[in-house]
Amino acid sequence: MTELLTTISIMFIVAGPFLLVANRFDLPTVPLLVIAGTIVGFFIDEALTLELAQYGIALLVFSFGVDIDLSAVRSVIRDSEVAALAQIAVVGSLGVGLGLALGVPLEEALFLGVAAALSSTLVGTALLRTEITMNLLQGRLAQSIHFIQDLLAILFVLVLSAETLDAGPVTTMLGSGLALLVAAVLVNRYLFDAIGRLAGDSDELMILGVVSLLAVFVGAAEYAGVSVAVGAFAAGLAVRHDPVEYLGLFNGLESIKDFFVAIFFLTVGALVVLPFVEIGWSESVEKLVLAGGLALLTVVVKPAITTAILLYRGYEPRSATLASLSSDQVSEFALIIAIEALVLGLLTQSVFDAIILAAAVTMIVSSLTKRYDERIYRVLADRGLLPANHGKVDELSDVTGPLVDHVIIVGYGRHGQKLVEACDADDTPYVVIENDPARREAVVAECDAYVFGDAMEQYTWEKANVDDASLVVSTIDSDPVSRRLLSFEFDADLTLRASDRTIALELLEAGALYVSQPDVLAGKQLVSRIRRVLDDELTPEALREEQLTELNSIDHPEFQHRR
Amino acid sequence: MVSEIVLTVDFAIILLGATLAGFVAKQTGQPTIIAYILAGVVLGPAALGVVEVSELTELLSELGLAFLLFLLGIKMRLDDIQHILVPIAKISIPQMAAIFLAGAGLSLALGFDPLESFLIGLAVMYSSTAVVIKMLTDKDEATSLHGKIDVGVLLVQDIVVVIILAVLAAGRPDGLADVATTLAVVLVLVALVTVAAVVASQTVLPVVFRRIADNKEVFFLIAISWAFLFVFVSDNINLFLAPLGIEAYLSIEMGAFMAGLAIAQLPYSKELQDRVNPLTDLFVMVFFVSVALDLEATQLLEYWQEAMIAALVLMPVKFLVFLYLLDWQGFDTETTFLGSINMIQVSEFGIIVAAVAFEGGFIDAEVLGFMTLLAIFTMAVSVYFIEFSHPLFERVEPTLSKWMSEGEFEGGKREYRDHAVVIGYDEVTRNALPLLADHYEDVVVVDRTVEHIDTLEEEGYDAIYGDFRNSTIRKDAAVKKADFALSSSVEPAVNKALLREVGEDATVFVEAERVDDAHDLYDRGAHCVIMTPYLAGDRLASYLRAYLAEDERFVDAINDDVELLESSDPFPNTYERLGGDLDD
Repeated sequence: MTELLTTISIMFIVAGPFLLVANRFDLPTVPLLVIAGTIVGFFIDEALTLELAQYGIALLVFSFGVDIDLSAVRSVIRDSEVAALAQIAVVGSLGVGLGLALGVPLEEALFLGVAAALSSTLVGTALLRTEITMNLLQGRLAQSIHFIQDLLAILFVLVLSAETLDAGPVTTMLGSGLALLVAAVLVNRYLFDAIGRLAGDSDELMILGVVSLLAVFVGAAEYAGVSVAVGAFAAGLAVRHDPVEYLGLFNGLESIKDFFVAIFFLTVGALVVLPFVEIGWSESVEKLVLAGGLALLTVVVKPAITTAILLYRGYEPRSATLASLSSDQVSEFALIIAIEALVLGLLTQSVFDAIILAAAVTMIVSSLTKRYDERIYRVLADRGLLPANHGKVDELSDVTGPLVDHVIIVGYGRHGQKLVEACDADDTPYVVIENDPARREAVVAECDAYVFGDAMEQYTWEKANVDDASLVVSTIDSDPVSRRLLSFEFDADLTLRASDRTIALELLEAGALYVSQPDVLAGKQLVSRIRRVLDDELTPEALREEQLTELNSIDHPEFQHRR
Repeated sequence: MVSEIVLTVDFAIILLGATLAGFVAKQTGQPTIIAYILAGVVLGPAALGVVEVSELTELLSELGLAFLLFLLGIKMRLDDIQHILVPIAKISIPQMAAIFLAGAGLSLALGFDPLESFLIGLAVMYSSTAVVIKMLTDKDEATSLHGKIDVGVLLVQDIVVVIILAVLAAGRPDGLADVATTLAVVLVLVALVTVAAVVASQTVLPVVFRRIADNKEVFFLIAISWAFLFVFVSDNINLFLAPLGIEAYLSIEMGAFMAGLAIAQLPYSKELQDRVNPLTDLFVMVFFVSVALDLEATQLLEYWQEAMIAALVLMPVKFLVFLYLLDWQGFDTETTFLGSINMIQVSEFGIIVAAVAFEGGFIDAEVLGFMTLLAIFTMAVSVYFIEFSHPLFERVEPTLSKWMSEGEFEGGKREYRDHAVVIGYDEVTRNALPLLADHYEDVVVVDRTVEHIDTLEEEGYDAIYGDFRNSTIRKDAAVKKADFALSSSVEPAVNKALLREVGEDATVFVEAERVDDAHDLYDRGAHCVIMTPYLAGDRLASYLRAYLAEDERFVDAINDDVELLESSDPFPNTYERLGGDLDD
């Protein structure tokens, strides 16, 4: 058995208990792997695993490239959430400033700036998964912010490979990077399906083919003197494909990725020279101050600045705060940048350590702030730290008509539209409450009366004249929102929405007149259809015809493509 | 400080070479193992000489074998193999003795000296774990009866290899007593590792894996971590035992197998198979490529004629020995034939034994070359026999069955047919399950949540834990033979995979979130696409209309819904009442 196998074995054996801890306390795995790595560092020679770690980096960036949603790029630009760029500039500068203030030379301080500015997609987006699948505003916002940062990170890695900031080499690097991307597009268009045909129905060969493709791109990147990460990103773009046709391939790649990425994070941890344990006092304190400063910048200053910018862009305080809170960690891309810079000799050990330690700490803190984000927001709002901005709500809302015995509809998604139609048909007055700028146009065009504000805020309800309303229908599938509405104790009847049965029951218990739980309704419908088929009342083909006719009668084209 | 990292070109070349060879093999209908071995011969010093064994490739090929055995372990449920343990012992020991005699005798006849002949005899006794298990896995026969017999025999051989390697590594043995001690120690160690694995599978593992099963990434990494624990302990057992004054070795393959075996006894093993499989494929590829990477052409080819003769004699001898022994143990003709034809090659362990003997100064490099060539050649030939074992059997069956005894062993389990497959147990599907159970003999539910699996099994449904996107899971649920399929997943990938796999006559109900997904699913053959959000929106609007019109039915309707919500029965048998719409 080789020394390398012993090393890898030790890595994974040590990682085991840490992963159990991560699972037990619902923490992200990345920081715990890094921490496990610091312990592994005592037993192994990390230089041995650096090459494997590079494959980890390559696969990490590769899968980012594979998963990239090109239409998302467009929608981000359209939503003018490029405001995220401003946040990166501000926080990045602060990071550089922090480094300079602590006596770090400018070249290295730049890396602190990068570490402070970029947030982790793996951690941040994973924490927000529920919000993203439910298409809540803060989920979408956070996703866009992370996405822009990731793209910038790739760009930065590219520039970093120039090993200098002179215009000449940087331009060359950008040229090489561009060439790789063009190659990726060509491969994706002409070669990928050929690989699929050659591999036939063999997942094994397909995976092998794609890994080879990755190796070729990484090799080309190395040859051009560009970071392997850039090559891997291009390879990812080259392999982008509808996963359905190649299920085995994409599942297989995920296993391979998980394995090597774990080695990467463990190696990063192993490279850290632990303060106090491995070095003297003064050096340790210096390192911890740097790490602490970076962590503070990331956990407190970055969300604050992001919130401020989002508020300025016209988002209401709650969504802005919640989205910003999801970006309060150091990015895994910053880890990649740091390790590359360390290897290239652009970064000294102590700055590297500070970045890695800050990353591990902030990733853990981030999962805690996510857990308590609604409370953090409430505390901030109640202390008056967030501008209430009633003027803005007044300005954007339209509640001119007489509003007595009206229905208040919260949310103008698919359900909201149906409810508005029902009110229109019945000539019942209604007000729609909505907070998503992306839906504003539709609301203005289609609703008689609307309040553009956050349903969590008292003022929004005053504006909607809830005291004289007869019914409040919330179509928002969010537990905090539902509880908040119940806590207002409206005189009007209140119906809510929930996706979880237990929560639905709790909400009923707490005083809701009705809780719409889509799954229960769907289950009812499903049973009736299945029974008709099984009882031979209807052939499957006839059912299909009937269903298709019904489907074609759904006519809300403008909402079909929105995610 | 770290020095600059340069990714080795060797691995990239191996990847590319193997991929190209693999594509050619696929297009011409050859097994991929052959492609990998040939790629190694061409890339290695024997031909082009562009690749050398690097630390990375060595690691990956070691991992390849370890993962292959780990994967195999994951597939072995003890209940399934208990009844064949005795026959396996009775087959493997005489088989090795017979082949040893044949191999040593043949070598003497070919002009090798007595010590060389003795060692060659020791090296040819085993069949190739890598080839047989890889082929069995590719053909999906690892858990068939003949597959299990072969695997069992291979493991016994593995133990013997470990003992022989230990003896060889210790230098020239001082006598029989020395060999006997090593033998005893290794057997005790194997027993200890087995006990550790079995105890863990009864105590710690169920608790741990139950907790982590719902977290895909942690689940996978912990399983890997568990495998490495066994690999590490087996490999370093010498260090652990040194204070006791005992010298002993265990193979990492043995450790990996035991680690897998412990997990196999848990209900989550199926899901893990699909996660470990791709890594194994990748690493095993490196293993096969590097088989031929070590040798110069001259060393490899010095005894090529002898190697060919030895191969042509040993393969039929191995086949006949296995055929006789399996038949003697009372397996049916087909199992006997298939189980024997799989095992006719000389193992990669033969090369390892020869390599250790070479390092110990027992034999020359040319004899090592002879062993390597013999192993590569027999592996390559046997792959074709394994690939086409079934058609071959059909040809020879009439002749064979004349002189072979009747089979006494029962094998194989009942398979699903015309059953109902349900993907995802949730609020939408739980009402439908009793209805389906009334109409179908078998209702198989695939779900990724441990608690759901427990609930389902308590109710008597067949539950499979795993992600439907994995092919093993789909195969397990026998989706192809289902008469009815219902998916409550809104992921288009899952539903499209389902629609692609079901038979033509199956009725398929799926769910979708968006209109264009629904259209797509109908285009692909779905009979009914449930669209929960739209449905709920319509329903909510009709409730609002009823509310505004002060219709009494509003109260009834919402009371009905609330009642449904409140029923904590996981399988409400209330479907009789369900289905009444407000608008009907």
